[in-house]
Amino acid sequence: MLRLLSAAAVSRRALLAAVTAVALSGTAAQAQSGFGTPEKPIEVRMIANEAFANQWQTLMVPEFNKAFPHIKVRIDGVPYVELLAKTMLDATGPSPTYDIFIADDPWIPQLATVGALLDLKSPDVQKWTAPAYDWNDFNAAPLAAGEWKGVQYGVPLRSNMLMMFVNKTHFEKAGLPAPTPALTWKQFLEQAPKLVRDTNSDGKPDAWAIDTYFVREPLTPTIWQAILNANGGSLLDDKGKPAFNNPVGIEALETHKKLLDFAPTGAVSHGFSESMQAFRQGVVATLINWGSIYKGSAIDPKTTTLKPEEVSIQVLPGGSAGPGSHRGIWNGSVSAKSQNKQAAWALLQWLSSKQGEAWHSANLGVFPARKSTLASTPSEAWLKPVFAALQQAYDAAEKGKMWRIRHPRSDAAQQILADEVARFMAGKATAAEALQTAAGKIEKVLN
Amino acid sequence: MESKADGGAHHAPSQAWSKLTDTLSRWSFMLPSAILLGALLAYPIFYTIQISFARFDLMTFSAVEWVGWENYAHVLDDYRFWASMKVTLVYLALALPLQIVLGFGIAFLINAEWRGRGLVRALFIIPMVVAPVVAGGIFRMILDPLWGIMNYLLGLFGIGPLDWFGDATLAMATIVIIDTWRWTPFVVLIATAALLALPRDVFEAADIDGANWWAKLWSITLPLLVPIIAATFVVRWLGAVKMFDIALAATYGGPGGATNVINLFIYEEAFRSLRFAESAAMAVIILVLTMILTGVFLHGTRKLEEYY
Repeated sequence: MLRLLSAAAVSRRALLAAVTAVALSGTAAQAQSGFGTPEKPIEVRMIANEAFANQWQTLMVPEFNKAFPHIKVRIDGVPYVELLAKTMLDATGPSPTYDIFIADDPWIPQLATVGALLDLKSPDVQKWTAPAYDWNDFNAAPLAAGEWKGVQYGVPLRSNMLMMFVNKTHFEKAGLPAPTPALTWKQFLEQAPKLVRDTNSDGKPDAWAIDTYFVREPLTPTIWQAILNANGGSLLDDKGKPAFNNPVGIEALETHKKLLDFAPTGAVSHGFSESMQAFRQGVVATLINWGSIYKGSAIDPKTTTLKPEEVSIQVLPGGSAGPGSHRGIWNGSVSAKSQNKQAAWALLQWLSSKQGEAWHSANLGVFPARKSTLASTPSEAWLKPVFAALQQAYDAAEKGKMWRIRHPRSDAAQQILADEVARFMAGKATAAEALQTAAGKIEKVLN
Repeated sequence: MESKADGGAHHAPSQAWSKLTDTLSRWSFMLPSAILLGALLAYPIFYTIQISFARFDLMTFSAVEWVGWENYAHVLDDYRFWASMKVTLVYLALALPLQIVLGFGIAFLINAEWRGRGLVRALFIIPMVVAPVVAGGIFRMILDPLWGIMNYLLGLFGIGPLDWFGDATLAMATIVIIDTWRWTPFVVLIATAALLALPRDVFEAADIDGANWWAKLWSITLPLLVPIIAATFVVRWLGAVKMFDIALAATYGGPGGATNVINLFIYEEAFRSLRFAESAAMAVIILVLTMILTGVFLHGTRKLEEYY
């Protein structure tokens, strides 16, 4: 009986695999030629952030191989700070090692400019794209992360947005209403003093209103930028010149720094990990961080002290132009020099398809980019409020162009912003001085 | 006479031939090492110099166009370069003397006869084998203002909480503490070896003359150790000037660039901002400055050796 059940399960999996493979490739004949055979499997190599490379290798690749058993995938994880340089070095070589590059949100212009990436909507690639692969189903903001100068070079694989995490218990104890997406920065700053509390009556505060990025690093300016964008400001004008050196930019930067008054001791050196830990340990009422940490912060008891019912997720507080957020998409792109373009695209296509996204979010907690996925009932109940918040964030990001500078030298510009924001945070410059210096330097770099 | 002259004439070419073959055989032994050195050491240096005078094309990932001193002008015009140089000088001025004084001081203490001395010497090696990034991470946990044990202990005495990474002065102190924790054992090892090699007869003569502990330390041990101290300083200087990983792991160069040592700045400009040409120019400037200062220190070391 067991054997029969097992055989039935195997045949169902085989059938599903065959159907998916055929659906993605268009014809069975193509599936044979570009996707390898049992005798001659194809090896596809990918370079990715080490933060998720291993998880993909051990969990995602076996799932993909159910549909494409003859495409062997090898993923090399590289620390984030070295990933762009190593990708550029490989991509510009005469025979690159990697078929797939996993590029962070602002990197597509840099890689596209050096001719490293394959146009995913070119006629050749269209032939390998399944008819059911619906480009229009993607939310515009995450899809735009993979585009440069009208050409689609990447697809969103891990869609991340800056979100506000709320520990409702803190608000309750402070006698404040739990925040909603309608919360503004002005309202939050009015509430913040009440959220700084001395819970054990030792004369020192041990509960704070907020934690987020304040440290000197390239992602810290995204907080300032989210406030800037929510108030109708932007980083660059239509001509690509810095447009943040004005009262809106200054006020946004001062708001960012003001958050330090209500943040834990030493928060000026807090970044991704430190702020996340402060929230998970229950010492802060709110956290602004990347949405992808929601599962580990609210659901998984191995990584958080909080209960799912006390945590909520929403867009960032708003300004005059609406709520805030900031886009952080990991794009999957195919090397223009790859010898296995069809197989590489098959993997990216599978992972960014409706089925792939559903599997990815349900099993690895990764956020989807497709409207249909976000509108569907997720397999895990905890994903429902997350999907709703994520859709709001995508809409806000699209409306306010809430992303980093898109330019072949965007990382240099981001590092300048990081330096100047840090200088202001440390009290070594006024907001106006910091932004003026940043604007001057960025204009030079982008030219 | 004639036969002598003949003999001399016959001997001269044979001597020259012998000298030539000797030189050739010496070079043939040296050649593989010279080629290896050339490939592994000289080539990267010359390539860095080449990039520093060129426009670096990311398309081909190579230097493509001679731009003269343009990259150097950009670097010298960037206040962040000068700020990083200043930070590096402060760090070196604090860390190097501290490590030398502590290292030789500890060496004096563990050089005395006491039980467990061998174990302590062995334990001293541990910080040296810990990767700098790990050391930075460990100290980040120890000194964390919220969760760290250091602030907890200081709190027992009514001190703090101290913001080790958020206050510019304390952040620099943190970097110096971590670097000192890592490298003082190295100085201790050298100092211990030097102390053991000191001639015993001089000390015996001093004992006969009735010299006390302080007199022996001040008038014999220290003068004899001066060349070693100077050499250790030069070795540590060459190591310390390269430091950036501890700052990267512990403070990210912050707050506000307060611990952004020059090599961290170069690293960020190269690998985060992909400004390889400007980074190469900075690297060359640092290389030249380091060579000049090392030359000065070596000259000083020789003078001290002569003096003592």
